[in-house]
Amino acid sequence: MTTLNITYDGMSADMPVELDGNVSDADVRRIAVEVVRSGGVPGMHLAHLRDDAFQSFVVDRFRGPRGDERIYLRPKVPFGA
Amino acid sequence: MRIVFCGVGAIGSTASVLCRNLDATLAFIDFDRVESKNLLAQAYVKPSVGKNKAEALKLQLLNLHGVKAEAFGVRLTRDNVEALCSGADLLVDCFDNRESRQVLSDYARRASKPLVHGALAGDGSFGLVRWDERFFPDAEDQAGQATCEGGAHLPLIGLLGGSLARIIQDFVKHGVRRDVMVNLTSVTPTMDT
Repeated sequence: MTTLNITYDGMSADMPVELDGNVSDADVRRIAVEVVRSGGVPGMHLAHLRDDAFQSFVVDRFRGPRGDERIYLRPKVPFGA
Repeated sequence: MRIVFCGVGAIGSTASVLCRNLDATLAFIDFDRVESKNLLAQAYVKPSVGKNKAEALKLQLLNLHGVKAEAFGVRLTRDNVEALCSGADLLVDCFDNRESRQVLSDYARRASKPLVHGALAGDGSFGLVRWDERFFPDAEDQAGQATCEGGAHLPLIGLLGGSLARIIQDFVKHGVRRDVMVNLTSVTPTMDT
């Protein structure tokens, strides 16, 4: 089981997903659009989310402390100043 | 303990002020000058307008809070990164561009210096604090993209600056390296080493 975290428009939520093998960044973005549209992400039900809503988003992949896979889909963060 | 803040705009200046309780010398690197519009989102005061940001922050912390502080009013490059950062016990990246972040990251990995990054989305809706071993600098969507210069994003800048300061303090006091994601409704821990 993988945990997918989606951050969008000031909201952020986790959801468990079953992924088969290696999933590309483009697939992660596509899956995210579907789960947000369907209301599968807690607190983030946007039925009319655009197909390209996550086009410029970054996909980070980490292993949690118990070896669990975590995928973060988030906006770019180029700024500090 | 010597903590070097690289870039003291919105995130860097806010986090620095919140590190004034540490038993540490705070050093600031920034070539930029304080403009009046910066007063809306950065930790500068009106008499600082026109001064170099690193110098202005040093004076504020020194004169108003009695904190040991140093300033380097230059642009960090591959040529001077060693001279500016070799004396650091901790590096804090708050730059506003990928190139400078990469210069600092390359140096920190080469010199085995601890480095933590604070970074903000252009629309002010999201930010993160992440240690260098899990950080890859993001590029702007387009060159010259609008940044968080106005006061509209101040609450998120405050949350992110406060989170960065807390993570610096956890590292200084306990040696832990925490990552967090920040938005206006939550500060979410993501990793811990």
